[in-house]
Amino acid sequence: MGKILFKDFRVFDGRCFIEADHVLVENGVISEIGKDIACGDAEVVEGSKDKILSPGFIDLHAHMRDPGEEWNEDICSGSRAGAAGGFTTIVAMPNTKPAVSDASLVGYVAAKGSSSGGARILPAGCVSKNREGKEMAELLKMAEAGAVFFTDDGSPVAATMLLRLALLYLGKRQPRIMEHPEDSGLFKGGQVHEGRVSALSGLKGIPAASEEIDVARGISLVRDTGGRIHFTHISCSGALALIREAKKEGLDVTCDTTFHHLTLNENAVINSGYNSRYKVNPPLRSPEDQAALWEGLRDGTIDAIVTDHAPWHMDEKDEPFQEAPFGIASLECAAAVVIDFKNRNYPEFPLELLLSKMTSSPASILPEKWNGLGVIKEGAAADITVLDLERTRIVDCFAWRSKARCCPWEGIALTGWPIMTFLDGRKIWQDDEEI
Amino acid sequence: MSATPNEIGQIVWRHRNVIDLDGWSKDELYFLLDQARHMENVMDRPIKKVPVLRGKMAVNLFFENSTRTRVSFELAEKMLSADVVNWSVSGSSQAKGETMRDTAWTLEAMGADIVVMRHGAVGAAQYLASKLKRAIVLNAGDGTHAHPTQALLDLYTAWKHIGILEGKKIALVGDILHSRVARSDIIGFKTVGCDVVLSGPPTMMPKEIDALGCKYEIDPRNAVKDADMVYLLRIQRERQQDGLFPSIDEYHRWWGADAELLSLAKPGALVMHPGPMNRGVEIASEVADGNQSVILEQVRSGVAIRMALLYLCAGGAR
Repeated sequence: MGKILFKDFRVFDGRCFIEADHVLVENGVISEIGKDIACGDAEVVEGSKDKILSPGFIDLHAHMRDPGEEWNEDICSGSRAGAAGGFTTIVAMPNTKPAVSDASLVGYVAAKGSSSGGARILPAGCVSKNREGKEMAELLKMAEAGAVFFTDDGSPVAATMLLRLALLYLGKRQPRIMEHPEDSGLFKGGQVHEGRVSALSGLKGIPAASEEIDVARGISLVRDTGGRIHFTHISCSGALALIREAKKEGLDVTCDTTFHHLTLNENAVINSGYNSRYKVNPPLRSPEDQAALWEGLRDGTIDAIVTDHAPWHMDEKDEPFQEAPFGIASLECAAAVVIDFKNRNYPEFPLELLLSKMTSSPASILPEKWNGLGVIKEGAAADITVLDLERTRIVDCFAWRSKARCCPWEGIALTGWPIMTFLDGRKIWQDDEEI
Repeated sequence: MSATPNEIGQIVWRHRNVIDLDGWSKDELYFLLDQARHMENVMDRPIKKVPVLRGKMAVNLFFENSTRTRVSFELAEKMLSADVVNWSVSGSSQAKGETMRDTAWTLEAMGADIVVMRHGAVGAAQYLASKLKRAIVLNAGDGTHAHPTQALLDLYTAWKHIGILEGKKIALVGDILHSRVARSDIIGFKTVGCDVVLSGPPTMMPKEIDALGCKYEIDPRNAVKDADMVYLLRIQRERQQDGLFPSIDEYHRWWGADAELLSLAKPGALVMHPGPMNRGVEIASEVADGNQSVILEQVRSGVAIRMALLYLCAGGAR
């Protein structure tokens, strides 16, 4: 592998913008960062003041549908979709068919991911055998095979006793449990946020209490066991408040929210005339909840922004709202969605804070082997995403590498896009119009 | 079919499909009610047929059983001389293995001009309309969301008795949470300026009643007090199994309409119900069959209002 010199960029190091504007990559590793580096025999990538060199984005939560539902997505298409969205590392959720709940399936996901040609795929394993919520799966064997989280995502860990034992068993050195916070009884049959949208449509509501109750359960068990937990796709202000308090108390609790919960709310469902592309779990909540999520990013309660990329074949997703499955696919536009939204609605919100929640901050939640990702520093892996803040593109799902063909932003023009993605110093994607 | 609006009298008729009543103006509602009056005259003629939809094909696509609504639409279509096809499917489109997209395209390929659809899923009518290029869609009920023709026939019935409805009070009593009839009636009666008050068990109310723009009274006596119209909603017996109320008897004792409850309303207040009734549950027979009841008139109004809608959306200049 040769040398690449990134020249005259605005460099974001994972936490803040730095003085240096040149970055040299040698053999897949960042070898030098400085003000003026001679190019020598290196290939040069020219930048400008509107082009940001950022650590590659890290998505802690995406559905690859592989094994078992490869018509919806597979590890290759998902990995390449990620690359085209500026992501260099993606955690694949284990609620596949069969569920990833033993070491051999963790190995399958890791192996297929490593030859996919796009973003790095890190497997997550289930907490319970076959994701049944009853018996503990072979967590340590899965960790050894490369699992970076344990989660029954799609559902909460059903049995409270199992969640308690798994927290104890994993302690502080093994991968974290990622909890999908939901109360199964309150969720049952739900379609949309319980509030204005459920009142107007008659669709069964999913109360915010469903999420809050399970977050409270998880926090109590962390306090009880001394373990650690990550709550994924937090959508409401009440759950955030509980996590904020738990962090203040010093418990090892982390959380993420999604690109779509930050940028959409229940009014999008109503205004679309109940279009299934807005159907997602947890549901798009109230404008007040949405604002609380931005506050959670600002004050550090939220550690990461994830896609919860949930691709469906058009034949399954393009149905009347009530009959369509939950899920929004967004890998290929998520970064632009949040940057465009921030610039329109929260212009004063620091861009570096937003980008840190897609780079260094999620990396710090991963196991030790990976928690050095998400930074630009000498000696770090050359996972690099180039962002062009001036670039405007129209979201076109039909041109996606992902197999999904609809999303809430289809046909909408957004400004601020990734234009190049590098993994270990190798270019894995480039915006065609940039060549 | 022309895309230009159909101008009749003072109003430009701009509704191509009828999905719900959201966004309809008061003038449009009254205009429609006036048209329905002319249509009702047709029903009284010895030969109950006019040729406004001659040569048009109407498909009544019913994914849920509803003999009343289907027959009402069918009568309206036939009196306007449309050719009528009834297409009944049990269960969801997915259950029979076809996507609704394919169903929509099939209808269009067969040359349907008008599709009347009843479906169990919220958003189904809107979805169908978005997939059809040529045919128009009349929503005959989409899940718990909307039942616009029911609300229109309710308005028509009330208007015939009361006249201008502005400032009148209507009490809607029953299961608001699961009722498409309630959602459409709330929009319709509020648009013409009525004071809409809801009552029923708190377990059968949406969480954010404010979003509907109505007052809620847990005690039906407060809701019915001085009302001009008392509207009882059908209670689905399976809601009791869902645990939303403990027994039919308890429901009837608290929220069922009997003569005592009705006596609190204005003298001569109208008693309305969308049918079919559960006698002894939401309504006592003494009220259902009493001289204030306009429940059978509502059924007749349904045919007239559907004729008027079909005429305006699919007939005339179109």
